[in-house]
Amino acid sequence: MSHRETIGYETLDQVPDTVISQGTMLWNRTGSWRYLKPVYRQMTPPCNNGCPAGNNIEGMIRLAEAGKYSDALRLLKEENPLTAVCGRVCFHPCETACNRKEIDAAISIHAVERAVSEHGREGYAPHPVLSASGKTVAVVGSGPAGLSCAWHLARLGHRVVVFEKADKPGGILRYGIPAYRLPKDVLDRDIADIEALGVEIRCNTAVGKDLPWSSLEGYDAVFIGIGCHQPRPLFEGGEETEAVWDALRYLTLTAKGDFPAGNGKTTIVIGGGNSAIDAARTARRLGNAVTVYYHRTRTEMPAFGEEILEAEKEGVAFEFLAKPLDLVIDNRKLRGVRFLKTQLGEPDESGRRKPVPVNGSEFVVNADIVVTAIGDALDRSVLPESLDCDTWKIKTAKMGATGADMIFAGGDAACGDHNIAEAIGSGKASACAIDSKLSGFDIGAARDVITIGSTDRISASRYIMARTGETTGPLSKKVADYDKLNTAYFTRGDRPEQPHLPVQERLAGFDEVAGSLSLKAIQGETERCCHCGVCTACDNCLVFCPDVSVIKRADGTGYDIDLDYCKGCGICVNECPRAAMAMEEDK
Amino acid sequence: MKKVLMGNHAASWAVQLSRVKMISAYPITPQTHIVEELSEMCGDGSLDAKFLKVESEHSAMASVVAAQAAGVRSFTASSANGLALMHEMLHWAAGARLPIVMVNVNRALAPGWNIWADQGDSLAQRDTGWIQMYVEDNQEVLDSVIQAYMIAEQVRLPVMICYDAFFLSHTYEPVDIPSQDAVDDFLPPYTPEVFLDPESPRSFYPLVMPDNYMEIRYHLDQAHTRALDVIEETGRHFGEAFGRPYGLVEAVNCDDADMIMVTSSTITSPARLVMDELRENGHRVGLLKMRTFRPFPVKAVQDALGGCSKVMVIDRNCSWGKGGIFADELKSALVNLPDSPKVFSYIAGLGGRSVTPDHIMDMARQTLDTEMPSDGSVWKGMKQ
Repeated sequence: MSHRETIGYETLDQVPDTVISQGTMLWNRTGSWRYLKPVYRQMTPPCNNGCPAGNNIEGMIRLAEAGKYSDALRLLKEENPLTAVCGRVCFHPCETACNRKEIDAAISIHAVERAVSEHGREGYAPHPVLSASGKTVAVVGSGPAGLSCAWHLARLGHRVVVFEKADKPGGILRYGIPAYRLPKDVLDRDIADIEALGVEIRCNTAVGKDLPWSSLEGYDAVFIGIGCHQPRPLFEGGEETEAVWDALRYLTLTAKGDFPAGNGKTTIVIGGGNSAIDAARTARRLGNAVTVYYHRTRTEMPAFGEEILEAEKEGVAFEFLAKPLDLVIDNRKLRGVRFLKTQLGEPDESGRRKPVPVNGSEFVVNADIVVTAIGDALDRSVLPESLDCDTWKIKTAKMGATGADMIFAGGDAACGDHNIAEAIGSGKASACAIDSKLSGFDIGAARDVITIGSTDRISASRYIMARTGETTGPLSKKVADYDKLNTAYFTRGDRPEQPHLPVQERLAGFDEVAGSLSLKAIQGETERCCHCGVCTACDNCLVFCPDVSVIKRADGTGYDIDLDYCKGCGICVNECPRAAMAMEEDK
Repeated sequence: MKKVLMGNHAASWAVQLSRVKMISAYPITPQTHIVEELSEMCGDGSLDAKFLKVESEHSAMASVVAAQAAGVRSFTASSANGLALMHEMLHWAAGARLPIVMVNVNRALAPGWNIWADQGDSLAQRDTGWIQMYVEDNQEVLDSVIQAYMIAEQVRLPVMICYDAFFLSHTYEPVDIPSQDAVDDFLPPYTPEVFLDPESPRSFYPLVMPDNYMEIRYHLDQAHTRALDVIEETGRHFGEAFGRPYGLVEAVNCDDADMIMVTSSTITSPARLVMDELRENGHRVGLLKMRTFRPFPVKAVQDALGGCSKVMVIDRNCSWGKGGIFADELKSALVNLPDSPKVFSYIAGLGGRSVTPDHIMDMARQTLDTEMPSDGSVWKGMKQ
């Protein structure tokens, strides 16, 4: 170390007159000045952290950017088999979390997922499955939770039988979400991928009705994902009339082609959630004049804003601050609904302002059809009595364990948040929990390795790696928030608008409203992604290092720091656009 | 070819004829015409050079340093506050031994804001290591810029050609423009031995420890010494090629003179008239035009002034608290001569004030009539 390879000049003439290096400074190991050192790290991108289904969104975008659509599709399906579905109907909390919204607008992640699901089909082979475990699991209900659970159990080598009470699989995806939002051939494609892993789906089989629960005793485990499909009567009496509908029944009949009454009827939809909007837009397509009544205001509506806007474009009217009292029925024929005006009071436990009735403000609205969309309850009549449940859900511990041995539950039937991504995530969590029980794998010990970011959501791909003994480091619990980025490196761009069917064409049937983005637009979106917290080998660290101490690996897997010369100045960390580097104490 | 050109455009033409490849500048009155004209030339293709716009004079000099380090003949121009902002980079250009040529149009520094002639701006850069030359008319502007590249590239020192704001920069005079072929014959292409070459990576301008710094700086000072000969030689060659010879200084009627007036830049011209008038009246008066300020031509000055008894120096500048800068430099050049002449120092024309033949005659008469100079400089042309 003490060897100094300096150029020694003996005479005046030997000393050059230009100040240009004549040798190297390699003898000067400036690394000895360092007390902090830069390290490469992965932080969890906010999109990944925000996805209830646990998708590796940043990874998908990276592969899509490179044009590797089938690899991107494979990566998505590692966590979620319903990619084409989610690209269309997930409410994309990933985009809400996206740091890009602070720069220009969130990446259109759902559009990328949709494109990956379309363009990734070519070259997509069925996912590999672990060798057969000899265990069989019954999945009750083929909605998003059940399908997700079945997919991941199958990947883990278990035989899976899915029981579905309807004639076709999909549950809420098939019979709750209208075809103009989710074409059924798209759903069929995702389900076909699941069946390709050997999952057996038995339709027209309502467990608890057609088939007693006791008949499932031969299975090694049971997952219940039956959703919440028990209508709650809004009015006393009158609901027997053919003019009053529960939203889910209304949507289901439409989906089956048994169209409920239409053609110019005055239709009232009561409610403010997504089912209300689905019912209202469906009623418009059946030729009805539609008004949605909601007892709070637009601000408090739980429905997605985009859905509300599209409904308005399609001619759905909205009336706010109106609480339904009763039906006006004349001679067994529906005449209308009696409402009471409300005003907003103090916030309730959900944080939304409570509707307070205004005394003496009753008014009657004439209607031919009334659709109520006030949220359905758990159908306890079909569940085994041994399960601990309330009106809304089966009580479960983490990862869907019920009180009963080897019985798990997920989706709307067990979660507070009724949405598809949560259902998919819960089905996956239960699949991993069931597998750990069946295989004896200690899932608790692997938590740091398999949970995503700051959440307790499970990554199935990480679970499989952990379970099969592939070495994996822990996933970063830290999220790469906006304030961690060096935004000087991100130029502003535009978020492309998805094409939409003209309103006249929409109302003529149930054709899909939102179209796909062009591949060029998708490419632009993938390039706009900041890859928060993930090294993209952009070379900024290498370019800025004043000591030429960032060494790029020949195999393209990243960089190493030459600690002999790194002074620990931190410029590389500062100039990393995406917080994929940090300084740490050098011991 | 003769053209009537303002001094600034004479500089632009010289840059074009010198086949400069890179120009970077930031505009400042009274210099702006120079680079405006050059940007037009770059734009219309009559000059094959890159014109780099920058956000400050500091960056202008920095980018010219970079271009020259990469082996490209380059040019910039500035004035007053702009030159002051370049200060750090001026050291860099000289220390790096880069033969950059720049024009500084001499302008007063603020406050009070003043855009007129004053040598205070470039003289404040005296110790940056640049060769400095002060020129008298538009023809000399053009000729000196071309010679500057010749000088700079032989001794690897940057050269600053200085001339008075408005009196030259904006004043039109007939200028003889040599042909490109003639200039090409005089000034060979720039072919540096060492330059920033990706094929031969080296660290440029790195740390130099105490064990070598002094030697490197000695080389810089030696280059200035060598430049004295090179400037003389270049001026002589230029005379052979174009019929207009130049030297380190111009000595007129100094051989027999009892009193010699020392001037620089445009004040030289009225001083020539005063000298003629005094000679007609029987006074043996000479004139020494200081064309070169750095390197300081000690020998040439001693040769010109050694035989006379009085020297009268007119400075359009002032080192505050000391006086005229040329006068001061002259004194140190003369001090060890036997029978060193007395040096009378006058300050005149600051901030663009006119220095007329009457003013100069007044200074000459005072010098002739006074036995001993005062300790400091005498300010002339002031309100009473």
